[in-house]
Amino acid sequence: MMSPEMSDERENIRRFSVYRIIEHLALILLFVVLAATGLSQKFYTLGISQSIILALGGIDTTRVLHHLAAVLFTVLTFQHILVNVIGIIFEQWDTSMLVSFKDAQDAVHNVRYYLGMAEQPARGGRYSYKEKFIYWLILLGGIQQILTGFILWFPVVTTKYLPGQFIPAAKVVHTNEAMLIFLLVGIWHIYDSMFSPEVFPLNKSIFTGYAHKSQIEQANNSGKHTG
Amino acid sequence: MIGVVLIVSLALPASSSYGQGIADDQENKRCLKCHGEHGSVKKFPDGDFISTYVDANTLALSVHRSLQCTACHKEFTDQRHPDRAFRNKLQFRIKESHGCRDCHAVETLKSRAIHEALFKKEGAGEAVVCTNCHSAHAVTHIAGGNVSKSEEQYCLRCHASEKHMTFKSGETLSVRVKVAELRESPHKNVGCSDCHFGFSADDHPRMRFRSERQYRLSLSEICRRCHYDMYSKASEGIHYAMLSVGKLEAPTCIDCHGGHAVSSLGSNRLGIVQKCKTCHSKVYEVYAQSVHGGALLKENNKDVPTCIDCHTSHSIKDASSSDFRETLPGTCSKCHSNETIMGKYGLSTDVVKTYLADFHGVTIGFYRNEQNDGQKRYQPDRPMAVCTDCHGTHDIASVSGIGVQTFKKTLQKRCLQCHSNASENFPDAWISHYKPSFTNAPLVFIAEQFFRIMMPLMVIGLLFQIFLHIWRYLVNR
Repeated sequence: MMSPEMSDERENIRRFSVYRIIEHLALILLFVVLAATGLSQKFYTLGISQSIILALGGIDTTRVLHHLAAVLFTVLTFQHILVNVIGIIFEQWDTSMLVSFKDAQDAVHNVRYYLGMAEQPARGGRYSYKEKFIYWLILLGGIQQILTGFILWFPVVTTKYLPGQFIPAAKVVHTNEAMLIFLLVGIWHIYDSMFSPEVFPLNKSIFTGYAHKSQIEQANNSGKHTG
Repeated sequence: MIGVVLIVSLALPASSSYGQGIADDQENKRCLKCHGEHGSVKKFPDGDFISTYVDANTLALSVHRSLQCTACHKEFTDQRHPDRAFRNKLQFRIKESHGCRDCHAVETLKSRAIHEALFKKEGAGEAVVCTNCHSAHAVTHIAGGNVSKSEEQYCLRCHASEKHMTFKSGETLSVRVKVAELRESPHKNVGCSDCHFGFSADDHPRMRFRSERQYRLSLSEICRRCHYDMYSKASEGIHYAMLSVGKLEAPTCIDCHGGHAVSSLGSNRLGIVQKCKTCHSKVYEVYAQSVHGGALLKENNKDVPTCIDCHTSHSIKDASSSDFRETLPGTCSKCHSNETIMGKYGLSTDVVKTYLADFHGVTIGFYRNEQNDGQKRYQPDRPMAVCTDCHGTHDIASVSGIGVQTFKKTLQKRCLQCHSNASENFPDAWISHYKPSFTNAPLVFIAEQFFRIMMPLMVIGLLFQIFLHIWRYLVNR
C-alpha cells in the first residue's frame, strides 16, 4: 500500500520522537519476554510451555527472567507516567491521548458507519478511540500487573498487611489480565498495525518516526489514525 | 550323595538282626586278631592290592555290628581260610557283593528305582558292586533303621531338636528348624539343600562366622539365586546402601521375610507394619496415632497405607532425599485420587489436582521434567512443599477431624520453615484444596467470574470490529 520512504521526503510527517520509538521497542522486548515466561507458567501443561521453560533453563531460571523483565517493565511504565505527567503539566504537551466523551461517540458512530448507517467514519483527533483503548488498557493493565505481580513475588510481605486470600486472587487477576493483554495485542494491535488493509504489510511509523501525509489523510477519512 | 545314604537305609531289611547286641565276640575276635592289624594286603595278579585291615571301631558302629564275620564271608570258618584267586580287585568286589543278596532279596531291593536301574545294567553285563555305594564294614546305622523319605526328613533328624551353633564372637544360635513353620511356608516344596547349598547327607561343611549378624547376612545371599528381581530391587534401596557402607544392622531378606517361616508379607498388612517396627519403633509409635495408622491398627482398615505403600518394600529410597520428596504427591494420589476409596470416607479427590495446579505443585512438576530432560540442569534452590509438609508424614491427621481452622493455625509453623517471617495471614493464601466459591474465597471467586465474562466478551468484540472493518473496506472498494 503505502511506502513513505519511496515518496517525496516533504510528504512525510514526523509523528513519533526517537524517545517514543525506543520506548516502544523496549515495550515490545519486555512484552515478549514477559508473555513467553509468564504465559508458559500459566499454561504449564501445554507442550509448548514445557519446551519454552526447559529451553530457558528450567522453571527457576524462567521465573528469574520473568522477575528481571518485570523490574524493567516497572521502570519503563513509571518513567512513562512520570515523563508524561511532567510534560503535560510543565511543557503543556498535547493531551490528545486522554480519553474524552467524544471517544465513546466516535465508537458508536463508527459502528453505525460500518453497518452502512452513516456516510463517513468518525473523524478522530490525533489518536483514534481504538488507539486510546489499547493504550489505556496496556497502561492500566500494566500497572495492575505490576501490583499483582508484586503480591505474587512477595507473598510474605503482602500478607503482613493484607489477608491471605489476596495471593490467590492476585494470581487469578495477574494471569487472566496477562491473557487479556496478550489477546488484545495479539488480535487487535497486530491487526491494526500489520494486517489492516490500509497498512498491510506493516505500519512502520512507530519504527521510523514518520508517517506519510496521504496515510494520515486516509486514516482520518476512514476514522482511523495510524501509528 | 544324599541318595547313597537313602539307599543305605532302604537297603536294610527289617528282618535283619542288627541292633540286637554285639555278635559272637569270640569268632570276630579271632578274625580281628589278624585283620585288626595294619600292614597285611591281598594281592591281585594285575599288581593291584587291597588292605585286609578291618577297623574294629567302625565295624562296631555299623549296622552289621551284630553279624559275625562269617555271616558275610561265608567261605571262611574257624578252620577254613581259603586262598581265593581273583583276576583283579573288581572281580573280588563283585564276588563279595553277591553275598549281600543272601539277606537282601533282589525283589526287595528292586523296589527302589536306583536299584532297579542297577540291576538292569547288571543284566546288560555291567559290574554292579554294592559296596561302591554302601561301603563294606562301615555300613552305618541311620536313625535306628527309620527310612528317610526325603532330604528334609534326613536333615530334620538332627535339626528338629534343639542344637546350637557358636560364633567366634561367642554368640550362639539355635539351629533347630520348626517343622510346622516350614510346612506352612511357601517354600514347603523346596529342599533343604536348595537353600543351604553345599550341605548334603554326605557333606556338612563346618562354617565359622564372626558373629550371628554376619551369618544372617550370608544367608540372605542365598535368596538371590531364585529371587534375583527382588534382590536387585533391594540393591537399589537404602538398606542395601547402608550395608554397603558397613552398617550391618540394616535388614536383608531374611530379617523381614523370615527364614524357614518365610512369607511374602504382601497381604499381611499388620505384619508389614510390625516388621518395620522392629527397627523403626519410634516412627511406628507416631504412625499408630495417625489417621492412617490408627485405622490400620484399630480396625484393620484395608484402605489406609502401610509403611511399604509409601516407602515401597525393596527399592526403598532415602526418605530425606529430594528424589523421594518429589514423588510424594504421586504417592499420595495413588489413593487420594481414587474416587472409590475416597468416596467411602467422604474425601474429595480434588486434593491432588488443586495441589498440582498451584505454585508448589507446578514447580515440583517442572523439577521432575527437568530431571527427566536429562540435561543435568536439575538443581532446585530449595525443597518445594509437598503434601507431607502441611499434613505431616507419619503423624498425618484428618483435617476434618481437627477442624480446618485449627489446622490452619498449626499450618503457620509449617509455612515458616521455608517462608521466614510468614505472618498468621500467610497460610490463608492457600485456599485449602477447595475450588474457589463465594463463601470460601469471595475475592478469588469474584476475580475469576469477572474474567470469565470479560475475556470472551472482549475477544468477540475485537473480532467483530475487525470483521466490520474489513467488510466496510471491501464494500467501499
